[in-house]
Amino acid sequence: MRVNDIVSGTILIAAAAAMIAYTRTFPSFPGQHYGPDLFPRILGVLLIIFGGLLVVRGLRARVAGAPLVSAPEWATRASGLVSVGLVLGVILAFVLFQNVIGFIPLGIVSLVGLFLWFGVKPLQAGLIGVASILIIHWFFSSLMRVPLPRGLLDPFL
Amino acid sequence: MTFDILMQAFALVFRLDVMAIILASAAFGMFVGAMPGLTATMATALLVPVTFFLDPVPALGAIVTATAMAIFAGDIPAAIMRMPGTPASAAYTDESYAMARKGQLDLNLGVNLTTSVLGGLIGVVILVLCAPVLAEFALAFSSFEYFWLAALGLTCAVFLATDNPLKGFVSLLLGLAIGTIGIDPAAGFPRFTFGSVELMQGVSFIPAMIGMFAISEILRGATAINAPSEMITQAIGNVFRGVGSTLRKYWVNFFRGSAIGVVIGALPGAGADIAAWISFAVSKRFSKEPEKFGTGHVEGIVDAGAANNSALAAAWIPALVFGIPGDSITAIVIGVLYMKGMNPGPTVFLQNPQLIYAVFIIFVLANLLMLPLGWAAIKSARQVLRVPQNVLIPMILIFCIVGSYAMTNSYYGILIMLIMGVFAFLLEQNGFPIAPIILGLVLGEMFEQNFMTSMIKADGSFLAFFARPIAAILGISTLAIWALMIWRVGIAKQPAPAQ
Repeated sequence: MRVNDIVSGTILIAAAAAMIAYTRTFPSFPGQHYGPDLFPRILGVLLIIFGGLLVVRGLRARVAGAPLVSAPEWATRASGLVSVGLVLGVILAFVLFQNVIGFIPLGIVSLVGLFLWFGVKPLQAGLIGVASILIIHWFFSSLMRVPLPRGLLDPFL
Repeated sequence: MTFDILMQAFALVFRLDVMAIILASAAFGMFVGAMPGLTATMATALLVPVTFFLDPVPALGAIVTATAMAIFAGDIPAAIMRMPGTPASAAYTDESYAMARKGQLDLNLGVNLTTSVLGGLIGVVILVLCAPVLAEFALAFSSFEYFWLAALGLTCAVFLATDNPLKGFVSLLLGLAIGTIGIDPAAGFPRFTFGSVELMQGVSFIPAMIGMFAISEILRGATAINAPSEMITQAIGNVFRGVGSTLRKYWVNFFRGSAIGVVIGALPGAGADIAAWISFAVSKRFSKEPEKFGTGHVEGIVDAGAANNSALAAAWIPALVFGIPGDSITAIVIGVLYMKGMNPGPTVFLQNPQLIYAVFIIFVLANLLMLPLGWAAIKSARQVLRVPQNVLIPMILIFCIVGSYAMTNSYYGILIMLIMGVFAFLLEQNGFPIAPIILGLVLGEMFEQNFMTSMIKADGSFLAFFARPIAAILGISTLAIWALMIWRVGIAKQPAPAQ
C-alpha cells in the first residue's frame, strides 16, 4: 500500500509523541541530570520535526494532484494479494502452531502448499517439499542442535 | 611478535573444517549472488543463523567468502538476462546486456571476473595496511570522538546512500528508536519493554535483520513471481580472451575504480552498490569517448566492476577499527562479532590480533578462489539461472523461519522476524530505505552510550564536545554535512516526484 506523505508523516508524529509521553514514566536518578529518558526524547523531537516536513511535502504533492492512498500493481490482482497473504500466513502459523504440530508436519504442509500455489507441478512439489524439510530438519536439529519442536511426531522421533 | 601472530592466524585458517566451510559458503555466495532478487546482504542474513554455531574464524570466513562471491556473481545475470543479481551490479546492467547483445558476452564476463578479483585484492591490501594503523590511532579516542564518529557515520549513511535524505533520516531515527527498546546503556533501566522479559535484551538483532532484508524481499518476489525475462542464447566460450588487452588499455580506469571503491566502502554507511554507481558515472564523465556509453562499451564496466569488489573489503575498515559499519553487510558482521564476544574496536587488535589477521587471510583467499569458482559459475550460469523462482522463494521462507527460531529457540524470534519484515516491506513500498534502519539499530546502543557518557562528562557544556582536536574535526565535519543537507532541502522547494 502506498500512502501520501501526509499519512506517513502523521503516523510518525503520533508515534513519536506517544514515545515521548511514555518516557515520562521513566525514573530520574538523584544527582544525575541526564537519565534514560533523554535519548528517546531527542529522537522523538527529531521524528516529530521530520514527520512535519513529510506532511508539508505530502500537502504540496496533494495540491499537485497526487492521491492520498494508492494501491501498487500487485495489490490490484487477487493473485498478488493471496501470495502475500500466504507468505505471512505461513510465518504466523509457525508462530502459533509450531509447538503443537511440530516443525516437520507444519513445514511440509506449508512448503508443499506454497509450491502448489506458485504453480509447481504436484508430484514435484510433494517430492521437493518433503525432501527439503527433512534435510533442513536434519541440518538444524542434528548438526546445529537447535531444539526444533517435534509436536505430533514426538512419539516417533 | 608479528610473525608469531601471523603463524597463529594461518593455523586458524588452514584447517580442513575451515576450508570446507569457506568452499561451501563460496558456492552458496555464487548461487545467491547469481539469482536475481537475492542480494549479498540477504546471503549474509541467511548465513548468520548457521555461523551462530561456529567458531569466530570460520563464522567470519563464511561471511567474507559468501559476500565476495555474491558481489561478483551478480554481474552474470546482468549480462545474460538484463537483471542484476545484486544491487551492486545495477549500475552497469544495461551496459553489460548491450555488450552481450553485440556478441561480446565472453569479454564482458571475463572483464567482470578479472576486475572483481583484482579490485577485491586492492581493497584487501588497503584494509590490511590501514586497519591496524587506524586502530593504534583510535586507542586514544574518548567518548567524544566516538560520539562524533558514530554521528558522522550515521549521517554519511543517509547522505550518500539515499536519493531522498528526508526519508533516509526518518529511517535512521526509526532504527535508533527501535534500538532504545531494552535495558538502557547508562542507568540500566528497562525501556519500552511493556513487561516482556524477552524485550529486556532489546529487539533480537538477527531475526529483525532476517525480517527486514529477507522477508520483505520474499514478499516482493512473491508478488512478481511470474515476471518474464529474456535470456541471451549466445554460447559462452573462452571468457579470458581479450581481457588482458582490455585491462592494458583501461588500466587507469581499473585503478580509479578500485580507489573510488575503497573510499566509498570505507565511508560508513555506503557500500558496493553506491561505489559502482559513482565509479560508473565518473568513468563516463572522464571518458575520451563518452558517446559510446550505453551502446555496450567495456570502459565503464572496468571501473565499476573493480569498484564494487574493492568497496566490499574496505567496508570492514571502520567496522573492525571503530565498530561502525561501512555498509549493511558489515552492520550484520558487527552483530556477529558481538555475539562471538569479539566487541569490535581498536582493542580487538590488541587482544585478539590473530583473529583479525585470520580475517585478512580469508579475504585474500576468497578473492583468489573467486577466479576458478567464478569461472565455474559463469560456465554453469545457464543451468543455475534456470532454478525457478517458484521453488526458491518458498524454500528461502522456510529457511528464514528456522533461522530466526534458532536465534532464540522460541517463537519469539519468528514473531520479531514477521513484524520487522512487514514493517520493512511497507516502508520500502513508500520509499523509505531499509539500510539506515539496520545501521541505527546496530549503532544505537554505542551511539547513546557515548552520547550519555559525553553529556555527563561535559556536564551541559556543549563546547566540551569540541575541546579535543580530533573530536573538533569530526564534530565540525558532521555539522557541516548537516548544514549542507538542510541547505539542500531548503533550496529544493519543488514537490517531491511521485513514487
